[in-house]
Amino acid sequence: MSSRAAKVAVREAATTVLTVDQLHIDRLRSNRQAQTIVSSFSLSVAAGETVAIVGESGSGKSMTARAITGLLPPALVAKGEVSYGGRNLLSLKEREWRRIRGREIGLVLQDPFTMLNPVMRCGRILEESTLERGLSRKARRTAAIARLSEVGIHDPSVVERYPFELSGGMRQRVAIAAALARDPTVLIADEPSTALDVTTQREILSLIKSIQIARNMALILITHDLRVAFGMCDRIYVLYAGSLVETAPSAALESEPLHPYSHGLLLSEPPADYRMRELLTIPGAVPSPDEVADSCSFAPRCRWAAAACVQAKPPLEQVVPERLSACVRLHDIRGEMAAVRDRATGEVHAAVAISDEPSLIRVENIHKVFRRGNRRVVALEDVSIVIRPNESVGLVGESGSGKTTLARMLVGLEAATSGEIIIDGVSASNWADLTQKQKRRLRDSVQIVFQDPYSSLNPTLSIGATLNEAITTRDPRARNVSARAAELLDAVGLPAAYARRKPAALSGGERQRIAIARALAANPRILICDEPVSALDMSVQAQVLNLLSTLKRTHGLGLLFITHDLAIVRQMTDRLYVIYRGRIVESGTTAAVLDSPTDPYTIKLMASIPRADVGWLESTRTIGTGLPQVSAHSARSTSR
Amino acid sequence: MTEFAHAAEPPTTRTRRRGRLGVIVIFAFGVVGAVTVMAICGSLIAPDDPHAQNLAVSLAKPSHAHWLGTDSLGRDIFSRIIAGARTAFLGPLVIAAGSMVAGNALGLFAGYRGGRVDSFIMRWVDLMWAVPSLVVIIVVAGAVGGGYWLAVLLLLVLTIPFDTRVVRGAVLEQTPRPYVEAAKTIGVADARIMWKHIWPNVAPVAIANSFLVFAGALVTLSGLSFLGLGAPPGTPDWGLMLAEGQTLLFANPVATLAPGAMIVITAVSMNLIGDWTYEQLAGRGAER
Repeated sequence: MSSRAAKVAVREAATTVLTVDQLHIDRLRSNRQAQTIVSSFSLSVAAGETVAIVGESGSGKSMTARAITGLLPPALVAKGEVSYGGRNLLSLKEREWRRIRGREIGLVLQDPFTMLNPVMRCGRILEESTLERGLSRKARRTAAIARLSEVGIHDPSVVERYPFELSGGMRQRVAIAAALARDPTVLIADEPSTALDVTTQREILSLIKSIQIARNMALILITHDLRVAFGMCDRIYVLYAGSLVETAPSAALESEPLHPYSHGLLLSEPPADYRMRELLTIPGAVPSPDEVADSCSFAPRCRWAAAACVQAKPPLEQVVPERLSACVRLHDIRGEMAAVRDRATGEVHAAVAISDEPSLIRVENIHKVFRRGNRRVVALEDVSIVIRPNESVGLVGESGSGKTTLARMLVGLEAATSGEIIIDGVSASNWADLTQKQKRRLRDSVQIVFQDPYSSLNPTLSIGATLNEAITTRDPRARNVSARAAELLDAVGLPAAYARRKPAALSGGERQRIAIARALAANPRILICDEPVSALDMSVQAQVLNLLSTLKRTHGLGLLFITHDLAIVRQMTDRLYVIYRGRIVESGTTAAVLDSPTDPYTIKLMASIPRADVGWLESTRTIGTGLPQVSAHSARSTSR
Repeated sequence: MTEFAHAAEPPTTRTRRRGRLGVIVIFAFGVVGAVTVMAICGSLIAPDDPHAQNLAVSLAKPSHAHWLGTDSLGRDIFSRIIAGARTAFLGPLVIAAGSMVAGNALGLFAGYRGGRVDSFIMRWVDLMWAVPSLVVIIVVAGAVGGGYWLAVLLLLVLTIPFDTRVVRGAVLEQTPRPYVEAAKTIGVADARIMWKHIWPNVAPVAIANSFLVFAGALVTLSGLSFLGLGAPPGTPDWGLMLAEGQTLLFANPVATLAPGAMIVITAVSMNLIGDWTYEQLAGRGAER
């Protein structure tokens, strides 16, 4: 620790409850040398304070959280120091850990769908975490109900229910209640809201925040989303490829990031309140910590990288009080970064000319009902939308709203129960009734890009084989197939040599480009993008969005952009439909709908977008006094 | 290419168990290789004629002239074991290959099409499973008159449902995946989706399963020969040798133990190779 950092530490020592110093995590491998997961990480958190660890996938943030709670997988070994209550936790034995976990340090994990034991009732899960022996069944039950009401679940029957009977938000509440059951002094929340809808995300985050304030807990929030960190936290630690690149108070980081990576991350997050000229991207993908062991971890992707950056790993040094940055060129580039930010945030007035061309896709009064045994689930109810050529249309809704069902119907993966879909003059309500010729015509009009690039490419086929198949399927007599494949790769910004690779050799962003190239092989007039970036890291997300904008311009491609993210809709679309529980609740030009939403659901959605000002969480902070029933969503059955 | 592959390696590469050829697997390959050679060359490489009787030296203990001794008719056990590899290898091979082809086709079809096709095929599978296979073989072989190839055919028919069920399960897991849906939306024909997209992804299970089927068929066929329902009397066959040596177990134990050991070692080796192959193939999805 540098002397200046030590001074900061001394000043904070009075209230600091947990410090992490020079944490290093290795994965031990039998045949090769150890692989670094986290090369250097230090953190301190005081009672009542909230700090965020912000990083993309592969940055090592989750393993850091596991190291702090002694839950590292067997092959991973942590070095350094995690001090809590005058002890170094890393040297504890499993027996001793049990007295720390839950009682001193609580942990909430990302995925509420797998975190709770599916064969245990919620009450039993809570009883287990309190671990007070000798209580009567009735007393235990009362205690469990009290715990639940603390997290805003006032329905005592929940203790008798199994996790699968609850919505994602409810499960996360139960998990929080279990983590808090023994009053820990430190709570670590690892992406607690990532798997949830944006409206539920806000409820969960504000719940965590209010409990933290009430109990004066220290909170370590792990997230990939800077906006969430700004809204929740006092200080932020930015982790990149296993090492800290910047730490700063939230407000200061938001107004001026002092490392090119935080700067890039901040700019690649699209704002929800205005449309940017073009999203700024960080080229490339996150490297592994070992590749950047002796240089600045961000150097390979940094536009300001110079010789000094790759000579040695830059130390994390104090720039101004309470702010540390690991950029050696900070003084040279600080002004330049500010200038880039000023340019980028200059609002662009999106001149939207609503075309009056005849529609290419017309969906009229579509209903879709799924039957599961005796259960009827209405996925879509009386939905009508219109998409014209060269138009970019947004379809916004949360999970289970029916937006993906609609997309699948447009490409023939589902048939409508009633209503009509007309695509390019062909009635496409049920593809099973169509001739081959009609199907071909539809496929030439509409193609789709799926959400998850990790499963939408066949892992056993090379990229070239995937693209060749798409080309020859459309035109069996096609000549120069590999030249056309190279052309497609070029259109999505990848070199032709990628044709020889298998999907596993590609990063998520590259895979999504291949998925787009495959869809383009049919020369479609409208490309349906079903949450195309939600599985990607923030810095890569912007690359894919920019690619889609470019294709829209160069190929005259219309887009149906399906997403839950209003910021992305703002950047990508001209018109917008808001779908809620299978019904279109609002539509209009994107700017009009987002600037002055009229439907209560749209208004709620707008209010839920993470933002830095306190109002974001305040407006739902009624939880302590008694939340109106949480589960608007809990009774809902999903469409799948 | 190599350089890139390294660079693109994600920081949390899962530990792969591929490529390590342990001593046991080498041994298993050695056994199967030797049995294969014995099955092909048969009596050509045997030191004596496996059929030649010599009552003068019947029930001889292992010696320099007869490595594993002789049976009650004075036939050389070692030569008979070499010659017996043919029935031990050929029948299971036909069963494993045949049930793989038919089982994969039916399993792919049932899993991919779903609906009525699926229920029809799977109800047939259930029916076949409900039938006690050994009883069926004994009854049919008894009625028709037995014979090695009849036993192979019956066993093949009774094994197909097993393969079908395994493959269908694997196909059901692949079919809803987005890469299959993506192929549908670009208009790829169903047959091609099944063969080019889904099958390569279920191949590790299907192929490894065939090795297990081979081992199982070897044991079952030997058992049928032992009961007199397989290879005709006089044929050098491991199962038959077990039966013949049974009553003379104390006169020349080797005559009984040697074929028994061959059955066990070959079957275990096949199982080991099956496991090893699965590990090799399952890693293919992570190939760069």
